[in-house]
Amino acid sequence: MALYDMSPKAIIESLPLTEPVLLILLSLAGRPQHGYAILKDVERMSSGRVLLSTGTLYGALRRLLDDDWIERFAEEETPRGRQAYRLTSQGRRNLHLEIDRMKHITRLATLRVATKES
Amino acid sequence: MLNVYRALLCLYPAEHRQVFSEEMLEVLLAARNEISEQKLFARGRLMVRESAGLLMGALRERFRRFTGIHHELSSFVSGRLAMRNGFRFPKTTIVFMLLILGGVLSAIKRGEDIAASVPNANPPITVHVQSVHSILLGGMPLFFAFFYAAGLIGWAILFALRRSGVHRLAGMSTEQK
Repeated sequence: MALYDMSPKAIIESLPLTEPVLLILLSLAGRPQHGYAILKDVERMSSGRVLLSTGTLYGALRRLLDDDWIERFAEEETPRGRQAYRLTSQGRRNLHLEIDRMKHITRLATLRVATKES
Repeated sequence: MLNVYRALLCLYPAEHRQVFSEEMLEVLLAARNEISEQKLFARGRLMVRESAGLLMGALRERFRRFTGIHHELSSFVSGRLAMRNGFRFPKTTIVFMLLILGGVLSAIKRGEDIAASVPNANPPITVHVQSVHSILLGGMPLFFAFFYAAGLIGWAILFALRRSGVHRLAGMSTEQK
Protein backbone atom coordinates (compact mmCIF):
# COMPACT_ATOMS: atom_id res chain seq x y z
CA MET A 1 0.00 0.00 0.00
CA ALA A 2 1.29 3.42 -0.86
CA LEU A 3 2.13 5.51 2.18
CA TYR A 4 1.69 8.74 0.25
CA ASP A 5 -0.66 10.32 -2.18
CA MET A 6 0.09 9.14 -5.71
CA SER A 7 -2.68 10.95 -7.55
CA PRO A 8 -2.08 11.91 -11.22
CA LYS A 9 -0.90 15.31 -9.99
CA ALA A 10 1.57 13.67 -7.61
CA ILE A 11 2.83 11.42 -10.42
CA ILE A 12 3.40 14.41 -12.68
CA GLU A 13 5.27 16.10 -9.84
CA SER A 14 7.56 13.05 -9.68
CA LEU A 15 8.58 13.65 -13.29
CA PRO A 16 11.09 14.09 -14.79
CA LEU A 17 12.82 11.16 -13.15
CA THR A 18 16.52 11.34 -12.49
CA GLU A 19 18.70 9.18 -14.69
CA PRO A 20 19.48 6.58 -11.97
CA VAL A 21 15.78 6.15 -11.08
CA LEU A 22 14.86 5.93 -14.76
CA LEU A 23 17.58 3.32 -15.34
CA ILE A 24 16.40 1.28 -12.34
CA LEU A 25 12.85 1.27 -13.74
CA LEU A 26 14.12 0.37 -17.22
CA SER A 27 16.12 -2.45 -15.71
CA LEU A 28 12.91 -3.85 -14.21
CA ALA A 29 10.82 -3.20 -17.32
CA GLY A 30 12.13 -6.28 -19.14
CA ARG A 31 11.96 -8.78 -16.30
CA PRO A 32 12.13 -8.94 -12.51
CA GLN A 33 15.62 -8.52 -11.08
CA HIS A 34 17.35 -8.81 -7.72
CA GLY A 35 19.46 -6.02 -6.22
CA TYR A 36 22.86 -6.90 -7.63
CA ALA A 37 21.45 -7.59 -11.11
CA ILE A 38 19.89 -4.12 -11.08
CA LEU A 39 23.24 -2.56 -10.14
CA LYS A 40 25.03 -4.30 -12.99
CA ASP A 41 22.24 -3.59 -15.47
CA VAL A 42 22.25 0.13 -14.64
CA GLU A 43 26.02 0.20 -15.10
CA ARG A 44 25.74 -1.62 -18.44
CA MET A 45 22.87 0.53 -19.77
CA SER A 46 24.72 3.74 -18.94
CA SER A 47 28.03 2.41 -20.33
CA GLY A 48 29.58 2.62 -16.88
CA ARG A 49 28.65 6.27 -16.38
CA VAL A 50 26.09 5.65 -13.61
CA LEU A 51 27.62 3.58 -10.82
CA LEU A 52 25.08 3.09 -8.06
CA SER A 53 26.28 2.25 -4.60
CA THR A 54 24.27 -0.29 -2.62
CA GLY A 55 23.09 2.42 -0.19
CA THR A 56 21.80 4.60 -3.00
CA LEU A 57 20.16 1.69 -4.82
CA TYR A 58 18.24 0.55 -1.75
CA GLY A 59 17.22 4.11 -0.90
CA ALA A 60 15.68 4.40 -4.37
CA LEU A 61 14.10 0.94 -4.16
CA ARG A 62 12.53 1.72 -0.79
CA ARG A 63 11.15 4.96 -2.18
CA LEU A 64 9.73 3.18 -5.25
CA LEU A 65 8.22 0.48 -2.99
CA ASP A 66 6.60 3.13 -0.79
CA ASP A 67 5.00 4.72 -3.83
CA ASP A 68 3.87 1.37 -5.29
CA TRP A 69 5.91 1.76 -8.44
CA ILE A 70 7.61 -1.60 -7.82
CA GLU A 71 6.94 -4.67 -5.68
CA ARG A 72 9.18 -7.09 -3.85
CA PHE A 73 8.81 -10.86 -3.94
CA ALA A 74 10.79 -14.00 -3.13
CA GLU A 75 12.26 -15.69 -6.19
CA GLU A 76 11.13 -19.30 -6.38
CA GLU A 77 14.08 -20.75 -8.26
CA THR A 78 16.71 -19.64 -5.75
CA PRO A 79 17.53 -21.90 -2.76
CA ARG A 80 16.97 -19.27 -0.07
CA GLY A 81 14.11 -17.43 -1.74
CA ARG A 82 16.19 -14.42 -2.75
CA GLN A 83 14.23 -11.19 -2.87
CA ALA A 84 13.61 -9.68 -6.29
CA TYR A 85 11.79 -6.63 -7.62
CA ARG A 86 9.35 -6.08 -10.46
CA LEU A 87 7.34 -3.18 -11.82
CA THR A 88 3.73 -2.80 -10.73
CA SER A 89 1.09 -1.76 -13.26
CA GLN A 90 1.26 1.74 -11.78
CA GLY A 91 5.05 1.79 -12.11
CA ARG A 92 4.84 0.66 -15.73
CA ARG A 93 2.24 3.34 -16.46
CA ASN A 94 4.43 6.01 -14.88
CA LEU A 95 7.45 4.78 -16.82
CA HIS A 96 5.43 5.11 -20.04
CA LEU A 97 4.45 8.64 -19.02
CA GLU A 98 8.11 9.52 -18.57
CA ILE A 99 9.07 7.94 -21.90
CA ASP A 100 6.25 9.85 -23.64
CA ARG A 101 7.49 13.05 -22.04
CA MET A 102 11.01 12.36 -23.28
CA LYS A 103 9.73 11.54 -26.78
CA HIS A 104 7.83 14.82 -26.85
CA ILE A 105 10.95 16.74 -25.82
CA THR A 106 13.03 14.92 -28.43
CA ARG A 107 10.50 15.67 -31.19
CA LEU A 108 10.32 19.30 -30.12
CA ALA A 109 14.09 19.61 -29.98
CA THR A 110 14.48 18.02 -33.42
CA LEU A 111 11.92 20.41 -34.92
CA ARG A 112 13.43 23.49 -33.30
CA VAL A 113 16.98 22.60 -34.22
CA ALA A 114 15.95 21.76 -37.82
CA THR A 115 14.10 25.10 -38.13
CA LYS A 116 17.13 26.97 -36.84
CA GLU A 117 19.52 25.19 -39.24
CA SER A 118 17.32 25.74 -42.31
CA MET B 1 35.76 -4.72 4.51
CA LEU B 2 32.73 -6.74 5.50
CA ASN B 3 32.93 -5.54 9.09
CA VAL B 4 32.95 -1.93 7.91
CA TYR B 5 29.82 -2.57 5.83
CA ARG B 6 28.13 -4.31 8.77
CA ALA B 7 28.96 -1.38 11.06
CA LEU B 8 27.60 1.10 8.53
CA LEU B 9 24.42 -0.94 8.09
CA CYS B 10 23.86 -0.60 11.84
CA LEU B 11 23.45 3.14 11.28
CA TYR B 12 20.19 2.57 9.39
CA PRO B 13 16.90 2.74 11.30
CA ALA B 14 15.79 -0.63 12.71
CA GLU B 15 12.77 -0.76 10.40
CA HIS B 16 14.98 -0.41 7.32
CA ARG B 17 17.52 -2.92 8.65
CA GLN B 18 14.85 -5.56 9.26
CA VAL B 19 13.68 -5.41 5.67
CA PHE B 20 16.83 -4.74 3.67
CA SER B 21 20.04 -5.35 5.63
CA GLU B 22 20.52 -9.02 4.71
CA GLU B 23 19.81 -8.29 1.08
CA MET B 24 22.13 -5.28 1.04
CA LEU B 25 24.91 -7.35 2.59
CA GLU B 26 24.47 -9.96 -0.16
CA VAL B 27 24.80 -7.25 -2.80
CA LEU B 28 27.90 -5.84 -1.09
CA LEU B 29 29.41 -9.34 -0.94
CA ALA B 30 28.65 -9.97 -4.59
CA ALA B 31 30.27 -6.67 -5.55
CA ARG B 32 33.32 -7.47 -3.44
CA ASN B 33 33.68 -10.99 -4.86
CA GLU B 34 33.47 -9.68 -8.39
CA ILE B 35 36.49 -7.44 -7.99
CA SER B 36 38.47 -9.65 -5.59
CA GLU B 37 40.88 -10.54 -8.41
CA GLN B 38 41.45 -6.92 -9.37
CA LYS B 39 44.09 -4.49 -8.16
CA LEU B 40 44.17 -2.96 -4.71
CA PHE B 41 43.21 0.43 -6.13
CA ALA B 42 39.97 -0.93 -7.65
CA ARG B 43 39.08 -2.66 -4.39
CA GLY B 44 39.80 0.50 -2.41
CA ARG B 45 37.67 2.56 -4.79
CA LEU B 46 34.76 0.16 -4.40
CA MET B 47 35.07 0.25 -0.62
CA VAL B 48 35.07 4.05 -0.56
CA ARG B 49 32.08 4.24 -2.90
CA GLU B 50 30.06 1.66 -0.99
CA SER B 51 30.95 3.08 2.43
CA ALA B 52 30.01 6.60 1.36
CA GLY B 53 26.79 5.27 -0.17
CA LEU B 54 25.86 3.41 3.00
CA LEU B 55 26.69 6.37 5.20
CA MET B 56 24.67 8.79 3.10
CA GLY B 57 21.85 6.25 2.75
CA ALA B 58 21.69 5.85 6.54
CA LEU B 59 21.71 9.62 7.03
CA ARG B 60 18.97 10.02 4.42
CA GLU B 61 16.79 7.36 6.10
CA ARG B 62 17.31 8.89 9.54
CA PHE B 63 16.55 12.36 8.17
CA ARG B 64 13.40 11.05 6.45
CA ARG B 65 12.17 9.37 9.60
CA PHE B 66 12.94 12.39 11.75
CA THR B 67 11.46 15.09 9.53
CA GLY B 68 9.03 13.33 7.19
CA ILE B 69 10.76 15.06 4.27
CA HIS B 70 11.35 12.81 1.28
CA HIS B 71 13.55 12.83 -1.71
CA GLU B 72 11.33 13.12 -4.75
CA LEU B 73 11.92 10.55 -7.47
CA SER B 74 12.59 13.50 -9.74
CA SER B 75 15.47 14.57 -7.53
CA PHE B 76 16.48 11.40 -5.79
CA VAL B 77 20.16 11.47 -6.48
CA SER B 78 20.74 15.17 -6.91
CA GLY B 79 19.53 15.49 -3.35
CA ARG B 80 16.99 18.29 -3.78
CA LEU B 81 14.65 18.04 -0.84
CA ALA B 82 10.95 18.41 -1.19
CA MET B 83 7.96 18.17 1.10
CA ARG B 84 5.53 15.55 -0.13
CA ASN B 85 1.85 16.35 -0.61
CA GLY B 86 1.02 13.60 1.83
CA PHE B 87 3.26 14.88 4.59
CA ARG B 88 1.34 14.87 7.86
CA PHE B 89 1.93 17.19 10.74
CA PRO B 90 2.93 14.93 13.65
CA LYS B 91 0.08 14.62 16.16
CA THR B 92 2.51 14.56 19.07
CA THR B 93 3.60 18.11 18.17
CA ILE B 94 0.04 19.36 18.69
CA VAL B 95 -0.06 17.69 22.12
CA PHE B 96 3.29 19.23 23.10
CA MET B 97 2.21 22.66 21.88
CA LEU B 98 -1.02 22.45 23.92
CA LEU B 99 0.96 21.36 27.00
CA ILE B 100 3.37 24.28 26.59
CA LEU B 101 0.45 26.71 26.11
CA GLY B 102 -1.19 25.32 29.27
CA GLY B 103 2.09 25.74 31.17
CA VAL B 104 2.52 29.35 30.04
CA LEU B 105 -1.09 30.28 30.92
CA SER B 106 -0.76 28.62 34.32
CA ALA B 107 2.53 30.49 35.00
CA ILE B 108 0.92 33.83 34.08
CA LYS B 109 -2.05 33.12 36.37
CA ARG B 110 0.23 32.12 39.25
CA GLY B 111 2.34 35.25 38.76
CA GLU B 112 -0.77 37.41 38.91
CA ASP B 113 -1.93 35.66 42.10
CA ILE B 114 1.47 36.21 43.78
CA ALA B 115 1.49 39.87 42.74
CA ALA B 116 -2.02 40.35 44.17
CA SER B 117 -1.14 38.62 47.46
CA VAL B 118 1.97 40.75 48.19
CA PRO B 119 1.16 44.06 49.99
CA ASN B 120 2.19 47.07 47.99
CA ALA B 121 4.57 48.38 50.67
CA ASN B 122 7.86 47.54 49.13
CA PRO B 123 10.43 50.28 48.78
CA PRO B 124 10.70 51.65 45.26
CA ILE B 125 13.19 49.68 43.21
CA THR B 126 15.75 51.58 41.25
CA VAL B 127 15.62 50.18 37.76
CA HIS B 128 18.64 50.63 35.62
CA VAL B 129 17.34 51.38 32.13
CA GLN B 130 19.78 50.59 29.41
CA SER B 131 20.11 53.24 26.77
CA VAL B 132 18.68 52.55 23.32
CA HIS B 133 22.08 53.04 21.73
CA SER B 134 23.70 50.32 23.81
CA ILE B 135 20.90 47.91 22.96
CA LEU B 136 21.23 48.61 19.27
CA LEU B 137 25.01 48.37 19.32
CA GLY B 138 25.22 45.37 21.64
CA GLY B 139 22.22 43.08 21.74
CA MET B 140 20.44 43.44 18.43
CA PRO B 141 23.38 42.75 16.10
CA LEU B 142 24.26 39.72 18.20
CA PHE B 143 20.65 38.57 17.99
CA PHE B 144 20.61 38.89 14.19
CA ALA B 145 24.10 37.40 13.86
CA PHE B 146 22.92 34.34 15.76
CA PHE B 147 19.99 33.76 13.43
CA TYR B 148 22.05 34.42 10.32
CA ALA B 149 24.65 31.92 11.57
CA ALA B 150 21.90 29.35 12.26
CA GLY B 151 20.51 29.90 8.76
CA LEU B 152 23.96 29.58 7.24
CA ILE B 153 24.61 26.30 9.06
CA GLY B 154 21.22 24.97 7.90
CA TRP B 155 22.01 25.97 4.33
CA ALA B 156 25.45 24.32 4.57
CA ILE B 157 23.87 21.05 5.74
CA LEU B 158 21.39 21.09 2.86
CA PHE B 159 24.19 21.94 0.42
CA ALA B 160 26.29 19.06 1.74
CA LEU B 161 23.33 16.68 1.31
CA ARG B 162 22.80 17.98 -2.22
CA ARG B 163 26.43 17.34 -3.11
CA SER B 164 26.31 13.81 -1.75
CA GLY B 165 25.09 10.54 -3.24
CA VAL B 166 25.64 8.92 -6.57
CA HIS B 167 25.81 12.20 -8.45
CA ARG B 168 29.09 12.97 -6.75
CA LEU B 169 30.28 9.37 -6.89
CA ALA B 170 29.54 9.25 -10.62
CA GLY B 171 31.67 12.36 -10.98
CA MET B 172 34.49 10.73 -9.01
CA SER B 173 34.41 7.61 -11.15
CA THR B 174 34.45 9.71 -14.36
CA GLU B 175 37.49 11.58 -13.10
CA GLN B 176 39.32 8.37 -12.28
CA LYS B 177 38.77 6.93 -15.76
